[in-house]
Amino acid sequence: MTIRSMGLALGWLLLSNSAWAGDADPLQSPMWSFHQTRFLGEAPYEFDDRVVLSAPPFAEDSRQVPVTIDATALGQEVVRIVAWAELNPIPHIFTFFPTGPVAPRIALNIRVEQATPIRAAVLTRDGAWHVGSTRIDAAGGGCTAPSAVRAQEGWEEHLGEVFGARFAQGDGSRLRLRIAHPMDNGLTAGVPEFFIERAELRGGDGAVLASLELHPSVSENPTLTLQLDGRDAGQQLWLRDNNGNEFEAAF
Amino acid sequence: MRLCCMLVAIFLSLPLAAGELAYDLQPRQIATDTWLVEGSTENFAADNGGEIVNVAFIVTEAGVVLIDTGISRRYGEALRAAIGRITARPIALVINTHHHPDHVFGNQAFADVPIASLAGTRELLAAQGAAFADNMYRLLGDWMRGTEVLLPTQTLEPGVREIGGHRLRLLALRGHTGADLAIFDETTGVLFASDLVFYQRALTTPQTPGLDVWLADLAELEKLPYTLLVPGHGPVATGREPFAQMRDYLGWLDGLLREAVAAGKDMNEAMNTPIPERFATISLTRYELVRSVSHLYPKYEAQVFRRVDRRE
Ligand SMILES: [Zn+2]
Repeated sequence: MTIRSMGLALGWLLLSNSAWAGDADPLQSPMWSFHQTRFLGEAPYEFDDRVVLSAPPFAEDSRQVPVTIDATALGQEVVRIVAWAELNPIPHIFTFFPTGPVAPRIALNIRVEQATPIRAAVLTRDGAWHVGSTRIDAAGGGCTAPSAVRAQEGWEEHLGEVFGARFAQGDGSRLRLRIAHPMDNGLTAGVPEFFIERAELRGGDGAVLASLELHPSVSENPTLTLQLDGRDAGQQLWLRDNNGNEFEAAF
Repeated sequence: MRLCCMLVAIFLSLPLAAGELAYDLQPRQIATDTWLVEGSTENFAADNGGEIVNVAFIVTEAGVVLIDTGISRRYGEALRAAIGRITARPIALVINTHHHPDHVFGNQAFADVPIASLAGTRELLAAQGAAFADNMYRLLGDWMRGTEVLLPTQTLEPGVREIGGHRLRLLALRGHTGADLAIFDETTGVLFASDLVFYQRALTTPQTPGLDVWLADLAELEKLPYTLLVPGHGPVATGREPFAQMRDYLGWLDGLLREAVAAGKDMNEAMNTPIPERFATISLTRYELVRSVSHLYPKYEAQVFRRVDRRE
């Protein structure tokens, strides 16, 4: 599957060689322009140090690799953040839409199927993309490993449980949480896709402060760290999976 | 996956096949009847063949007691040959101190003699040995050729066991993997702490039941009236310095995880915590901190996170 998609990508690369624009990829990955076209389209982009993508240099557990994307240096100009793992069978990790009090910073755990470049592309109001990159080495198999959640007796009863806390950080606060969900990606035999596909952080009045579209490259029992201006409590987290189950949590 | 590993192993073996892959094991006498094959404090790598672990043996009147067998079949065979150059006595007993690959993957070279471990070690090796083997083939390539998991054939109980004039006190502890054997030779005063003690090499945490459990084990070991300490990794010591370093490092790691979670830091922030200058002599601290945060952060988070969903 991966080999086939790589083959397609390479074929595309040969055909479109003349259409290249923008910066040279600091990771010099043959997959960059394939994903650039897919996720960024025709829009201008640059590799930008203000998008800080942190991940360990190697995956100790390919099923749970922590990734942190911090675009706070681009401040209020940020409209959207898209992240992907180039060599995963399902590359797309998430698309994040922070607004107002929610900082353009997010941390979560992902799966990696093999050593891969990771990208975070940040769209600013002027229509340009700013790209941060890193590379993760891995023994692999994180996307096709059997589910640890499903191995637990009675896991269904815990579906959608959220554990977390609010932490003061300077004038702002962090919300950190873990959601009980298998996040099945459909790549393990006999288990169809079953994953949380949408999350919204809402204010006390119900207004959406940030929304997040998730894909099953996100780890099972997903963790999430968000950063907010101010230390007022009262936000709510709303979640929905692809089977229509909705879950809510309050901070 | 396994096919993938095999292909990698074959690929890695190609340039090496022309040269001879051989372990040059030189046992060194460290006490009466007692010999050490000291590994480096590096990580597993194709250029060291995984010769990164301390293996020891005691030449008793009843034969040789071997403590751990190294990382590969090839290592085990080289070890047996090296022992044969030092004594003509047969191998009486092989002990696996715990189930980690660098301590048990040489077992095949001793298939004709009793191999003993704690019951928990045997269970853990049966459950995790195949995954360890995959990973070692990936990291070490052709050094691993022919290596398969060979489970211990005898179960050790804690207590004193006399073999060929040596009174061996067997201690069943848990801090490193959940089933960790330490051996105190009361006859010579040598304490074989195995991986309960790392010295000048960062300790590893993939299976620890908790840093507090490990600290309690260290307190028990440190009380023993030893005159020479053999750690699982790193140089031998006559004094208490390895215990002081272990306590210091474990305490620092525990505090780091606790404080990072309490401050709302994410895992990458915790992994990038500065490492104190006083640990500069210890190898692989950053590498092992990345691993330890991966292993332990969720457990520390669980102590601080509370149920926040509406189903409660
Ligand atoms: Zn060990």
